[in-house]
Amino acid sequence: MTAVVETEGLTKFYGTRRGLEDLTLEIRPGEVFGYLGPNGAGKTTTIRLLLDVIRPTSGRATVFGADTRDPRVRARIGYLPGELALEGRERARDYLQFLADVRGGVSRGRIDELAERLDADLSVRMGELSKGNKQKVGLIQAFMHEPELLILDEPTSGLDPLVQQEFLAMVREARTAGHTILMSSHVLAEVEHVADRVGIVRAGRLVAVEDIAALRERAVRHVELHFDAPVPKESFDGLPGVRDVVVQGASLRCTIDGRPDALIKAAARYTVVHMVSAEPDLEEIFLTYYSEEEGRHAHAGA
Amino acid sequence: MPTLVRKSLGEYRRALIGWTVGLCAFLGMYISIYASMMKDPETFSRQAIAKYPGAFRDLMGGMTDIATGRGYLQAVAYQLLGPLLFTMCAAILGNRAIAGPEEAKTLELTLTLPIDRRRLLLERWAALTLGLLGVALVTLAVAAGASSAADMDVPFGSILAAHTGLFLLVLFFGTLTLCVGAAFGRKQIALAVVGVWGVAGYIVETMGRSIDAISWLRWISPVHYYLDGRPLYQGWPYGDYLVLLGATAVLLMTALLAFERRDVGV
Ligand SMILES: Nc1ncnc2c1ncn2[C@@H]1O[C@H](COP(=O)(O)OP(=O)(O)OP(=O)(O)O)[C@@H](O)[C@H]1O
Ligand SMILES: [Mg+2]
Repeated sequence: MTAVVETEGLTKFYGTRRGLEDLTLEIRPGEVFGYLGPNGAGKTTTIRLLLDVIRPTSGRATVFGADTRDPRVRARIGYLPGELALEGRERARDYLQFLADVRGGVSRGRIDELAERLDADLSVRMGELSKGNKQKVGLIQAFMHEPELLILDEPTSGLDPLVQQEFLAMVREARTAGHTILMSSHVLAEVEHVADRVGIVRAGRLVAVEDIAALRERAVRHVELHFDAPVPKESFDGLPGVRDVVVQGASLRCTIDGRPDALIKAAARYTVVHMVSAEPDLEEIFLTYYSEEEGRHAHAGA
Repeated sequence: MPTLVRKSLGEYRRALIGWTVGLCAFLGMYISIYASMMKDPETFSRQAIAKYPGAFRDLMGGMTDIATGRGYLQAVAYQLLGPLLFTMCAAILGNRAIAGPEEAKTLELTLTLPIDRRRLLLERWAALTLGLLGVALVTLAVAAGASSAADMDVPFGSILAAHTGLFLLVLFFGTLTLCVGAAFGRKQIALAVVGVWGVAGYIVETMGRSIDAISWLRWISPVHYYLDGRPLYQGWPYGDYLVLLGATAVLLMTALLAFERRDVGV
């Protein structure tokens, strides 16, 4: 099957400032792709290139096999801008109706249904909407024509936890319907429950594309174990994937890379009364990838 | 009507109503005091001329016949203030087409609709043109009505000819604003270009026509093609009006080309 989004050496410089460099990426039909990276990494730049709002310095991008310049492609995309601006005296409902008209109409009741799900009041003038409510209007317009490809730039920003859950449910439904989703975020936690794959971009470069499952395996995790009696440190030395072991009486702290298997087996020899495992946070995954990159460069240099 | 034209007109509506009311009030007031001035045309004419130094009279188009209906109408409505106000209206609306929404960041979502950029710009321009035409028609009715009520004795045909020129002039400046906005995405730049070209063009056409060193510049002044034919006195200056229309078309083409190849919102 051909890719829904395909980029090859996609590069964007803003003057001399790097926005994105040499991005080669493929997004497959029917997958949810999480696009992760810290501030200024190049996520919005990538997305704007895909929607032909800005033009690449070099490289190329296709969506549904067509050049991004082709306006017909955009009829099949639902887009939520990262810096969504809605203003003026127009009421949200009228604006949504306008967008729907230009896109060739949406099925009846669809706008109301989405508004109800997200708990959005569409009778408010757009300039008077709160940040979160603007985001809801943005989501409604992105989802309302049931597009085959959803491109969402930081979709959950400004949403309260309940609405975030509803949004994730909408993403799952879209995937069930066979649609493809590209969504960006700063944190893995926000996408890990819906994404099939994630790409990590850093300082304009794609540093990794991984299956979510594989990424979890590679993730760094801090683990704390409490036993019913003091344990000898030696039992935990040299375990594969376990480092920074600190034993203080009956408690143990360490860092694991990837699978916790060896640690669990070693701990099973004692009586474990309590265990804390912090969720791997994205920053550490970044650092892992980053130091790997550095390492590789150092090797290449030597 | 195409969706985008209708939508843009909706966005312009309040501004259009405001400017129409303002321009009509201005025209109606100035034209209606003509009757009271004409109770003593001699004194009025002498006073008017004495009040302004020579250079300023040039700027106002001479004012030698200010005591006649045509002269008065030209001086108050069609010479300086009328075009100035109407041009400001056109520039403000012209900025609402591209540069305004771009600075407000609302243009991004519009651009990602399944319409190509050329059509987006053309429909925005069409809405601008229709809006300005609406203002022109209403103000024409007021100018004609008020001048006949004030017994100015200027035939409707002459007023129509002058008003058409006014419309073409402001359409030119509105399109210029839209064009600069489409090329650079900044309202300030567009206003600066319109302001400089408009004011310099006006001065060159009025005070500068007798100064050899700069009088050739009249050819690149849009105001020249509006004032030089004296439509209120001599009827339709077709050639001049065609130049204004042609220049507008060139600006529109430029806007299309520039907008087509640009990064939006950076
Ligand atoms: N209009 C612009 N002009 C100049 N540089 C820009 C512009 N837009 C983005 N950049 C630069 O390009 C880089 C990537 O920016 P981008 O907005 O794509 O990051 P991002 O990943 O979306 O970040 P965030 O998470 O903060 O939204 C940054 O270094 C930024 O400074
Ligand atoms: Mg961003």
